[in-house]
Amino acid sequence: MTGRERMDVAMRMGIPDRVPVMCQLALGHYFLHAGIDPLEIWHSTAAFGDALITLQQRYGFDGILINLPGREPEWRKYVASVEEQDGETVIRWKNGWYTVAPPDDLPHVYRENGTRYTPTFEEIDPEKLFYIDPHDLSGLKYPYSWGFENNPVPRGRDFFPEWHWDTLKYVLERVGDEVSVHAEVFSPFSQFMELLDYTSGLMALMDDPAKVKACLEALSDGAIELGRGYARQGAHAILVSSAFAGGGFISRQHYKEFVLPYERKVIQGIKAEVDIPIYTHTCGAIGDRLDLMEETGTNGIDTLDPPPLGNVEIVDAKRQVRDGMFIKGNLDGVNTLLLGTPEDVMQAARERIEAAAAGGGYILSTACSVPPAAPPENILTLREAVESYGRYPIAAARGR
Amino acid sequence: MSVVGRRFRDGEIFVPEVLVAARAMKAGMEHLEPRLAECGVEPAGKVVIGTVKGDIHDIGKNLVIMMLRGSGFQVIDLGINVPAQKFVAAIQEYQPDIVGMSALLTTTMAQMKVNIDALRQAGALEKVKVMVGGAPVTRQYAEQIGAHGFAPNASAAVDRALELVRERKTMQAGAL
Repeated sequence: MTGRERMDVAMRMGIPDRVPVMCQLALGHYFLHAGIDPLEIWHSTAAFGDALITLQQRYGFDGILINLPGREPEWRKYVASVEEQDGETVIRWKNGWYTVAPPDDLPHVYRENGTRYTPTFEEIDPEKLFYIDPHDLSGLKYPYSWGFENNPVPRGRDFFPEWHWDTLKYVLERVGDEVSVHAEVFSPFSQFMELLDYTSGLMALMDDPAKVKACLEALSDGAIELGRGYARQGAHAILVSSAFAGGGFISRQHYKEFVLPYERKVIQGIKAEVDIPIYTHTCGAIGDRLDLMEETGTNGIDTLDPPPLGNVEIVDAKRQVRDGMFIKGNLDGVNTLLLGTPEDVMQAARERIEAAAAGGGYILSTACSVPPAAPPENILTLREAVESYGRYPIAAARGR
Repeated sequence: MSVVGRRFRDGEIFVPEVLVAARAMKAGMEHLEPRLAECGVEPAGKVVIGTVKGDIHDIGKNLVIMMLRGSGFQVIDLGINVPAQKFVAAIQEYQPDIVGMSALLTTTMAQMKVNIDALRQAGALEKVKVMVGGAPVTRQYAEQIGAHGFAPNASAAVDRALELVRERKTMQAGAL
């Protein structure tokens, strides 16, 4: 089987030839390990596409997650200067804003007064919201506009510029027959939290829930449009990124109220047009809400952080979800992949395969993304693990 | 806030509820603080805290600050993206019992060790207790880098801070 076929079978709860392996890599990991200038990776569609393919091939992954959109081809025309400062790269833009880019982590955009912009909850008008991309080259703006043009973009099908699909197209053209290529859509709740600072966003749930819901409703429309756009371009699956919906932030009750209805709307909205697998990435403690996540209609759950980062034991998760959703994850990205040895990784991977892979529907992966400084030899061990222990048939673990 | 902290620790309430409670407490403390100062009420301890260099996330640090203040600590907030030199300078200026360091990212948690090494080099590590925390930080990692205290959440941070203040006072008494 090709990686694409293997992933597709696993995401549809079938049994492939072996357990697929695919991790989301932190963008900083590409910066450090792809052998491509980090500034180019962040700002250029082709450089990021090459970085994605380079590391997918190096690590033998069956899939690629496109976790940055295409970039405006003419982005360089907005640059005034580029300089190195204290080990970081600073891009000065012609409008006076500047980007500080560390060598191993996400760049951040600052306004001319040295602050990062976030609107207040009070100034937000839900009718002006459609989609918030926290990774746009010019940072967050409200009302939303792309890049440095500062022309607010109207809601609707033309919201996303043509170049937005370019990374997906670039990767599909090169490896799309062999590798499962997924695109990322931010959940309405994540967009809302990214738009405001997290403290204001979380307090808004208590202060004015009706207005928050109006915002989430509007942001769902944009997420649907983006997901449909990716599906039209040929994405093999969609990841709904919902980092703030775990027990580290909000209660089960708030999840029911502010996450579930809107993620369900997004998933149904995308699937109404193209029936491709859609799965959800929620970090941290989600052990108490797997049933609610399933109610969103998602096909699978990414992450499943184990203790101490989260609270999900893979055996319990597999028992809970049964054949309802595929599972991707549960390896501890910090304590195993970053701080452990290849032997630790092999042991942890083997345990996951033995606990969760029987009957299909399991993809070996770190829970959250692979940290920037995770040693490549640890990551390479994941492929060795599925080759050694992940060939089907796999017997069910005792107790399941 | 100790009730809020206990309920947060036990999973009965979550971050939004804590934030709203802390806002109410802050409003109340603005009225109470002058009276407490008049009565000569001593704080439970003094903490200098910041998110380490390279990291601009502050929600975890802010939760810890709210819990500490609610438990009677005096807290000096150095903000986000705080370099080692600023921690060293703050120890000299404020003479705290505890220095707290927060990091959300695996890329920035290594900066905690850089900071502890800088405190040691400046001769400040004997004067304070160092506490660390943040999503990727574990007790094992805290011990490995030489921190005195670690807490997995904001509520536990208060309990550990109270222990560290007691340890520091015992140490100081023993040194006299």
